[in-house]
Amino acid sequence: MGTQVSIFIQQIINGLKIGSVYALVALGYTMVYGIIRLINFAHGDFIMVGSYVLLYTIPIMVACGLPAWTAIILAVTACAAVGVTVEKVAYKPVREKGTKMSALITAIAMSLFLENLAQTVFGASPKPVGTIFSFPNLELAGIKLNGNTMLTIAIGVVMMIALQLFVKKTKMGKAMRAVSEDGEAAILMGINKNRTISITFAIGSALAAVASLMYCASYPQATPTLGSMLGLKAFIAAVLGGIGIIPGAMLGGIVVGLVESLTKAYIGTLTGGVITSAFSDAIVFGILIVVLIVKPSGILGKNVGEKV
Amino acid sequence: MKKKMLKKLLALTSVAALAASSLAGCSGGSTAPAESTEASTESTAETTDTADAEEAPAAATGDTITIGTISPNTGNLAAYGESVVNAINLAVEEINADGGVLGKPLAVISYDDKGDSTEGANAFNKLVGEDVCAIIGSVTSGVTAGLAPLADESQIVLLTPTATADTITESDNYVFRTCFKDSYQGKMAAKFAAEELGVTKVAVLYASGDAYSAGLRESFVASAQELGLEIVAEESSSSTDDTEFSSQLTNIAASGAEFLFAPYYYNAVGPYIVPQARAAGYEGVIMGADGWDGTLGTMVDDKTLYNNCYFTNHYSPDDTAEAVQTFVKAYTEKYGTESLNALGALAYDSVYMLADAIEKAGSTDRTAIRDAMSGMSFDGVTGSFVLDETGTPEKSVAIIEFKDGAAVWKTTLAG
Repeated sequence: MGTQVSIFIQQIINGLKIGSVYALVALGYTMVYGIIRLINFAHGDFIMVGSYVLLYTIPIMVACGLPAWTAIILAVTACAAVGVTVEKVAYKPVREKGTKMSALITAIAMSLFLENLAQTVFGASPKPVGTIFSFPNLELAGIKLNGNTMLTIAIGVVMMIALQLFVKKTKMGKAMRAVSEDGEAAILMGINKNRTISITFAIGSALAAVASLMYCASYPQATPTLGSMLGLKAFIAAVLGGIGIIPGAMLGGIVVGLVESLTKAYIGTLTGGVITSAFSDAIVFGILIVVLIVKPSGILGKNVGEKV
Repeated sequence: MKKKMLKKLLALTSVAALAASSLAGCSGGSTAPAESTEASTESTAETTDTADAEEAPAAATGDTITIGTISPNTGNLAAYGESVVNAINLAVEEINADGGVLGKPLAVISYDDKGDSTEGANAFNKLVGEDVCAIIGSVTSGVTAGLAPLADESQIVLLTPTATADTITESDNYVFRTCFKDSYQGKMAAKFAAEELGVTKVAVLYASGDAYSAGLRESFVASAQELGLEIVAEESSSSTDDTEFSSQLTNIAASGAEFLFAPYYYNAVGPYIVPQARAAGYEGVIMGADGWDGTLGTMVDDKTLYNNCYFTNHYSPDDTAEAVQTFVKAYTEKYGTESLNALGALAYDSVYMLADAIEKAGSTDRTAIRDAMSGMSFDGVTGSFVLDETGTPEKSVAIIEFKDGAAVWKTTLAG
């Protein structure tokens, strides 16, 4: 019985490991959505870009005698640059000319474009990313605590608080909220709308770089398509928590991770082998549908009509 | 407001659907047609170049024997496609330098299937329409399983270098292969566990949605039971592209298994399955099949994690046999060592098998080639063998072991 309990706790920790990564990614989704009401489907691919930057810069940092994680500085710069460029080149013209839907489709196109570009530039074969953190393995009463996971959660919480403060307390944050509420009126109030959106993208993409660091610390392999499934799951996390709501992304990420891990661990035994752990993805996507039906605004969302 | 909410809901669901469909296609993306045409012109150009140099008269009249190939040149398994295409081009160049087949140079049309069944079928249909006399492909069992009935229907030889799923060819038809089949690999892994390692408690982790992984699991479980091994845990994942296996591995570690059979591909084995198994506290043997070939390039920095891991394979580059060394030398001189693997060796043999069959048939008639291939014997890089009545060779299996980040030949088991 004692071992059953410790296995259960271990499975919770396994869930936190992936959930904390989803949370970091979902923060980026929600940040951009909260401001410009665009679900940036290329966000997962910004993480892929970050992973490749890390892949190539970690050896340089290590050779210079610096710790591997300092590569994040370059990754943040590169991701922010990619994010702002994508926004300027693809999203802005579409946003100005087309509808919300065409902007969304552009985002999906951008995602495919980045994946295929990466395949051409970096090659299609998966590449191993060097060790980023080497934490000693903590073991408490037979339960293995993973240093990467703890750090990912900590970073997630810090990011969440910082973002929340930034959006609520700073002048720039106020401008972002104004643009989100009514772009035209914001311009009339003297807010530089385009600059605000660019900064939003820069921050969102920088978050993607941080997410890629923590992703690569736990899953050390870069492939051109790594962002697609990760991005989708994080999108579900963001919707589950309430898209546009910063703490919701964090909560949603952790919940999706836990659901995934516990499904994999117990569904086979619970259903007598009828439904196996292979169904975990189906269950996660099922959650999206249930949330959309039961509470479309997400766990932390308020059921209010959108302003017209 | 209700209406608005519904609208929003509808929009979100369609977004999800769109995203899902883009994901489904994303192992390759949408640039496919352009890419495959590019690949095809490239390889045709390459072979024609050689032909120009070596066989000027034949090339001048455009009188060539064209074979088609299908492989995943882009997508998650692109590394496989790279090895296969390289090896095929190498074999074709060698054959052309040596006078070609039936006195004519060989030409190749290569298409990309991106590891996707639909793309594979499209490539196949395109090749049947073009004037190819036989097709080599595809690489993965999943894609090839879809092509096999098409080959019988179109009455054209489909020689897969590497698709090991049993169901791909079960009768004397137009489908042949150069590799052994899964039930054989699973059987050999169970035999190795019981007889060479002497373990009694075994566990299985497999991808239930993947023909290769599920097929291997089936034959392993059947043979393990026959050999009296106790299966203490059986866990699955939805696809071979998963990244997180910790939950299943925690259960396996708790089950007291001494041996874990994990038939996945190198892209999951190196960075995820083995390190996560060790992190979950599983110290026993981990074994896989030929999909593990390539794991060396995907390992994490701590190579000691991979000690006590084995896999079955088609050949070992350490083999001292002359055919193997000649191939290894020719391949590495042209393409380097990074993409050198068993898939390449099998693809290389496939071209020579096909060339033999065309010579034997004395024509490029599609049915004549089939008749010549049926029951043929062959001596190549991956061993000497005879094709059985289903067109599958009976050959030995090499067991490779990882030792501190190196792949070492452990033993060769014969059926």
